[in-house]
Amino acid sequence: MLKMNNISKMYQTEMVQTHALRDFNLNVEEGEFIAVTGPSGSGKTTFLNIAGMLEPFTGGEYLLDGIDVGKLNDNQRADLRNQKIGFIFQGFNLIPDLNLYENVEVPLRYRGIKAAERKRRIEQCLEQVGLASRAKHLPQQLSGGQQQRVAIARALAGEPRFLLADEPTGNLDSLMARQVMELLEQINRDGATIIMVTHDAELARRAPRNIQVVDGQLADFTLYQGNPNMAVGA
Amino acid sequence: MFSHYIDLSWRSFKRTPLVSLLMVIAIGVGIGITMTSLSVYHMMSMDPIPEKSDKLFAVQLQSMDEGESWWSPDSMPYQLTYRDTENLLNADLPFKRAALMKTGFSVHLNSDKVKPFLEQTRVASRDAFDMFNLSFINGGVWSKEQESSAAPVAVISQSISKKLFGTSNSVGETFYLDDLSVRVVGVIEDWKLHIKYFDLNNGSFNKPEHIFIPFSLIKANEIDTWGNTNGWKHEPVKVFNDKLQSEKFWLQFWVELNNASEKRVFEAYLENYIAEEKKAGRFTREKAEYKLRDVNQWISYWEVVNEDNKIMVALSFMFLAVCLANILGLLLAKFLRRAPEVGVRRALGASKKQVFFQHIVEVGMLGLFGGVIGIIVAQVGLFGIRQSLSYYDALANMDISMLMTAPLIAISACIIAGLYPAWLVCNTTPATYLKTQ
Repeated sequence: MLKMNNISKMYQTEMVQTHALRDFNLNVEEGEFIAVTGPSGSGKTTFLNIAGMLEPFTGGEYLLDGIDVGKLNDNQRADLRNQKIGFIFQGFNLIPDLNLYENVEVPLRYRGIKAAERKRRIEQCLEQVGLASRAKHLPQQLSGGQQQRVAIARALAGEPRFLLADEPTGNLDSLMARQVMELLEQINRDGATIIMVTHDAELARRAPRNIQVVDGQLADFTLYQGNPNMAVGA
Repeated sequence: MFSHYIDLSWRSFKRTPLVSLLMVIAIGVGIGITMTSLSVYHMMSMDPIPEKSDKLFAVQLQSMDEGESWWSPDSMPYQLTYRDTENLLNADLPFKRAALMKTGFSVHLNSDKVKPFLEQTRVASRDAFDMFNLSFINGGVWSKEQESSAAPVAVISQSISKKLFGTSNSVGETFYLDDLSVRVVGVIEDWKLHIKYFDLNNGSFNKPEHIFIPFSLIKANEIDTWGNTNGWKHEPVKVFNDKLQSEKFWLQFWVELNNASEKRVFEAYLENYIAEEKKAGRFTREKAEYKLRDVNQWISYWEVVNEDNKIMVALSFMFLAVCLANILGLLLAKFLRRAPEVGVRRALGASKKQVFFQHIVEVGMLGLFGGVIGIIVAQVGLFGIRQSLSYYDALANMDISMLMTAPLIAISACIIAGLYPAWLVCNTTPATYLKTQ
């Protein structure tokens, strides 16, 4: 479903070349829940951004559902991202001027979904994260945990096949973090594939599959659960 | 999506009301100044009688001797002599013709009812009313007999009629032009013109006259011009008849020719006329020279819209450009501050094109608001011009086409100013902002 072969990413300034990723190989199957760990600066977020087509890679091959991402132009990448990928960020990244309903509506509008269908999906997603009654609230009127649940609702609204979460519990206390994690597990059980970057070892252990990024490469992995045949690494 | 973008733009204005207001005011002032000068220019250059401007021709005859020159672009005299005017007017031709002269009188009722006042008066042949589309409210033009017999009659405007008699229907009433008692035979609607194209000798933008008397009164009552009299050779003028017989230029002449063949017939007539006059010792030049210019050619020939007016419009557009440069700076700051939100939108599936379009709609809305403010500023500016000089009364106005143009210019200008900021913000790498927001 998601396949990265020898992906590399290099940032270049006048003086320095930095390899954020090199020879990065990963194969993700449908329905997996993968926790990505690693020290700060190891390339976890870069991997996630490339997986989400938010930044280009320097070399290698990236196939998403069999589509060669490297050959797509910006509009095609935006379409693919909109249709297949949902994002959850550490900082929630809700748009402050929009209420919860409108925030969840954003990806649906870009997909060109009609108003009635948008309404159905938004209400369903807000219901799923337990915030249906707060639809008209602005993000700043909610707690951090609630905001993250809105972000999850927004990610789910587009019915993505992939959820990419970049430290989704990083700004939350442990109780809220657990609630968000339970929500993600539920979403995974409902069929979505989740890749979650986290620093939290306890949360990582709850994911069926762990991978570790060190110095821009997959260093090691531990398979806690699931199918032992799921290949990780080259 | 367009209505959604409008909604987002409105929210954006509310989010930064001060900066938005500053931009709207900047574009409003720029558009206001531009539209003020553009409106005046537009009125100056507008066709004053579009329905027949290509059918009315000013007649010029080269009656000066060989070697004599005039200050017109082609050295043709702007006006005609009385002899030529009278001859052309009385020629047996099937075309409407207007012989014109500007004069003026002390107008009074020979009573204490109305205070006497000086008023410019137009001496005109009877076809002039039809040729120049003057509308009668009451009565009509004087008869052919009255014209040929130099009857003391007049056609007056509605406003003069009200001023003298307190009514629009003053047909049959008499009033005085100096000592000449004249009877009103017709009342016309006030002649509203922004360019006094039929007589550009004494100011292109002066107001048309309100009193009209027959052309034959010039000779019968020795009515002299209040306009220009130009000579090109020494001619002693001791009595009025000397002026009538002289080669001095002091009258205007127009002819209505409805098609090319009519024009050819009239041109042939002029050539014959010049040839005949040549035999009588006039028109001594080897080649017969005459010109027929339609209304717009005539206006252009007179350079009614001169370089100064064009420079003024250019300067006002430069001022608009300065305003836009300031707006560009403000837009850059505003849009780039929003880069994190754009990053989120991009992550959620917005293409660069959609982000770009969203911002262009926003600057378009800025332009629309600025255009509305600009119209208000322009109205104030035009009011100021009208107050400063009554000469500009008819010119310093904004017609419907200018009213529609103002927001269009404002929107286009803002979109041009917003292209770079919008392009910049849609090209930001979304990933840069997602972690840091």
